[in-house]
Amino acid sequence: MGGYIMQLQNYSVNDGDGIRTVIFLAGCPLRCAWCANPEGQTLQNPMTRWAETEEILAEVRRQEIFYRASGGGVTFSGGEATAQPEFLAELAGALYDEGISLAIETCGQFDFDRLAPVLARMDRIFMDLKLLDPVRHRQYTGADNGLILQNLARTARLGVPMTVRIPAILGVNGSDEQMAAAFAFVRDRCPGATLELLPYHRYGEGKYRRLGLTPPGGEFAAPAPAQLDHWRQMARDAGVEVVSFR
Amino acid sequence: MITPRIEKIRQNYVNAKPQISCERAAIWTESYQTTEGQPACIRAAKAFYDCCDRLGVHIFEGELVVGAVGEFRKCGILTPEFSWMWVDREMDSFATRPQDPYVMTEEQRQFVREKIFPYWKGKSLEEAFLARLPAETRRIGVDTGIIDSDSKWRQAVGEITPDYQDVLFPKGFAGILQEAEAHIAALDDACPEDEDKRDFYQSVILACRGIIRLAERYADEAGRLAVAEPDADRAAELRAIAENCRHVPARPPETFWQAVQFVWFTQLGGILSENPLALNPGRFDQYMDPYYEADLAAGRVTPDFAQELVEALWLKYSEWVWTISANTADYFAGYNQFQNLTVGGKTRDGQDAANAVSYMALRATEEVRTHQPGLSVRIHADCPKEFMAAVTRLVSRGTGFPAIHSDSVGYQMLLNLGYSPEDARDWSNCGCVVPHSRKTGEWTSAANLNFGAAMEYALNEGRSLMTGEQMGLPEQPAAGFAGYDQVEAAFFRQFDNLCRHTVISLVTAQRVHREMVPRPFLSACNEHCLEVGKDLSRGGAKYNVGPVITGIGLAVAANSLAAVKKLVFEDRACSMATLVDALRANWQGYEPLRRLAADAPKYGNDDDYVDAIARKVANHFYHEVHRYRDIFGNPFTSAFMGISNYIPMGRVLGATPDGRKNGEPSSEGVSPYVGTDRSTPLAAMCSAAKLNQEMHAGGTLLNLRLNPELVATKRGQANLGAMIQTLFALGGFHVQFNCISSDVLREAQRRPEEHRDLLVRVAGYSTQFVNLSRSMQDAIIARTEHSGF
Repeated sequence: MGGYIMQLQNYSVNDGDGIRTVIFLAGCPLRCAWCANPEGQTLQNPMTRWAETEEILAEVRRQEIFYRASGGGVTFSGGEATAQPEFLAELAGALYDEGISLAIETCGQFDFDRLAPVLARMDRIFMDLKLLDPVRHRQYTGADNGLILQNLARTARLGVPMTVRIPAILGVNGSDEQMAAAFAFVRDRCPGATLELLPYHRYGEGKYRRLGLTPPGGEFAAPAPAQLDHWRQMARDAGVEVVSFR
Repeated sequence: MITPRIEKIRQNYVNAKPQISCERAAIWTESYQTTEGQPACIRAAKAFYDCCDRLGVHIFEGELVVGAVGEFRKCGILTPEFSWMWVDREMDSFATRPQDPYVMTEEQRQFVREKIFPYWKGKSLEEAFLARLPAETRRIGVDTGIIDSDSKWRQAVGEITPDYQDVLFPKGFAGILQEAEAHIAALDDACPEDEDKRDFYQSVILACRGIIRLAERYADEAGRLAVAEPDADRAAELRAIAENCRHVPARPPETFWQAVQFVWFTQLGGILSENPLALNPGRFDQYMDPYYEADLAAGRVTPDFAQELVEALWLKYSEWVWTISANTADYFAGYNQFQNLTVGGKTRDGQDAANAVSYMALRATEEVRTHQPGLSVRIHADCPKEFMAAVTRLVSRGTGFPAIHSDSVGYQMLLNLGYSPEDARDWSNCGCVVPHSRKTGEWTSAANLNFGAAMEYALNEGRSLMTGEQMGLPEQPAAGFAGYDQVEAAFFRQFDNLCRHTVISLVTAQRVHREMVPRPFLSACNEHCLEVGKDLSRGGAKYNVGPVITGIGLAVAANSLAAVKKLVFEDRACSMATLVDALRANWQGYEPLRRLAADAPKYGNDDDYVDAIARKVANHFYHEVHRYRDIFGNPFTSAFMGISNYIPMGRVLGATPDGRKNGEPSSEGVSPYVGTDRSTPLAAMCSAAKLNQEMHAGGTLLNLRLNPELVATKRGQANLGAMIQTLFALGGFHVQFNCISSDVLREAQRRPEEHRDLLVRVAGYSTQFVNLSRSMQDAIIARTEHSGF
């Protein structure tokens, strides 16, 4: 079978260890107002395409030698990596059987029981924690965060190395109180998980235009480096290990 | 941390204009006037001795390592015995020429025109070479940009690595001299062969006496300066320098400082004897580390002072200037002397070779940022992580250094040339990217061959597109080619003809070198020459490797053939006649066709369609040059090197079917054509690795550009290390990285078509800069500057 992808990105170095190929799978249950990959929100649009599983496996095999020395592999991302669960399961199963190191980057909005076997095959799981406040979460992403918070806690118990990623966005979650609450959640509900802060950026603006959409307005901004350092220190003080895949 | 002394010398190196010294040429000329009729090697050795005896002795401010090629600190010399004609023709514009200008005064010019050049008229190597070169080869191969061998008849050969391990350090020049005397004592006056050996050993004795005499004169000068020096610390240094110069290079060094001074005197001797290209220090870490460790154990040196000595040596390597013609400077741009210094790799018995001095060398280049020595590293599969980390850290500093080489591919290249396993394991680099050794005699950059020209002549009835001149073999009009195979066959016919003329040119050059310009001093630094009593120019080295012919424009040729195949014979987008019309018109009026040509498969994207053509052309090149033998009976050697030769070789080349326009640069080494590797550096590496690189024992070069941000963190540098190991696992021999500044990014915004391959890191991945929107480019430039170096 196959599925809809945005692209395969070889020579990716920030979504897991080593040199990786990121498979950007199309489709997403959320509609984050700051989204940098609007082409990933739907399965079919001018910037996505259907790809056969075999085609993707062939491309990954060509890159495999670069994973070996670097400790890299494949990272499933999106869109939302879990939005096409059967496609994901097929790809992950085939690559797992070939001994390729796997990682996934997910928003957490998925059916845990269905995804758990796939997640268990990962060598690292990146999962987003955007907002703890359910009202604000619904306001900015269009969905409730109940399932996401539940899944964060459940996934942490799978025993797979896990990194919780917080997109740091002024205008959304950029206050000490919000960050402190998020850090406490990670510490209490995701024991063993590390934390990475991803500062907001506007690199997706061109894609909005290509799709005939309006880019996010000026209400979002990236925190200054000093501000990020301050939050990282807060997280460490709260007892959470902070990492960077930069 | 760089010391104030080194920083001061460095500032002068950065800011001073190189000046020409006529002193060496004057002494050389006077000496030759007194030795007419004597054997060539004796004349060369006597001139060298006279030079060492009479050349001005200059110890510059703050120097720890002494010995100057002339009266100026940043200084080039003249060697009229090789060629005076180009100097005569060009010296009036030395100061104003665009590439590598020199300062030369009106008095100096008058002096050389009156006192030096008249003697050499009719006697120089250049004149002998041109007189003997067949007319047809001369038409294609002298100052044409089609075949270029001028660095081998307007200059000395250079391209040699003195043997510190088995000859110089264990024996000293006094020891070599004694050996030569012992050899002479064992010769038979009645044996004609022995007479040649006698001349050779006599020339070695004169050369040894010369360099010892020069060192003694430096000892005297340092002693004199010490007495007059008011500063007590500097006076003590000068006394130590005097002591060093009394001891080395006559005798084996006893300290690290003496070893450094020995190395420089050897380098100085080589420079004075022939103004060489690529006089390589070789495996510096291997022969220097024992002295460093011994000094450290005995408390004679601190790590800081040893570092300062290494940096002082780096500046000495950089302060002398290789005086070359404007034409040569086009091919070897940037005052580059190509003194290649190699660290890391494996020892002769197969262990990891990295030691304290390997790290000092990397650090010295990072700190002084001199263009010399050409710092190379050998990387093997289980190279220590710390060493790889030091290498990638230096890459991240944006100097372009070090040149990174696969230990095992270099080893394999030398095995293919017939080296013993241990000698092959002991390889070091010559010049740019040539696997070489201290036991080798080889013209490692003998000639450049313009691959694009073969394409041009195949499609244009054997004529130059831009001049109309018949330069290749006659060929039928391109419209008559009925299939791709016929085009390819025509390309190879023209190609083979160019190879043949290259060989003729080099054999002619080898013959005049053997007769006219023996190399007594550098032969004295070679174990096998001393053993068998034969000069380097006569094949005295243990390994005599056939001259290296460097292919220029592999990517242009492969991309052009691929474009013809695809556009004319597969897609039928145009006829052969239309394509040739477009080339003749320099694509003017054919813009849509040019866009199709530019979109045809391009080497460097891991696309088998075109990569297979590149491999076929490269393999053909190897077999074609391998058919011919040089004057020592060795097959010629193929290489894909870089240097700056792709610029002049592009200048004479008309438009090519890959979409390139008249006179635009060709391509270098096994690198993709600039701007056409639109995927990732990994894809470029995969393409380059398909070329069966081990076969091209003259070396293969791959240059890639990286955004500094990719390697700004230790993690990024570790990934770069993994990328390098992967290239080498694939079979690549060399790679060098350019880390790009935001200035270049801005230039890329102005001229995006020339910067298509420029990679930048975006958000978690890397992509082509030119494919990003303007606002995103601006964001990335801002970020690069923020975290830039």
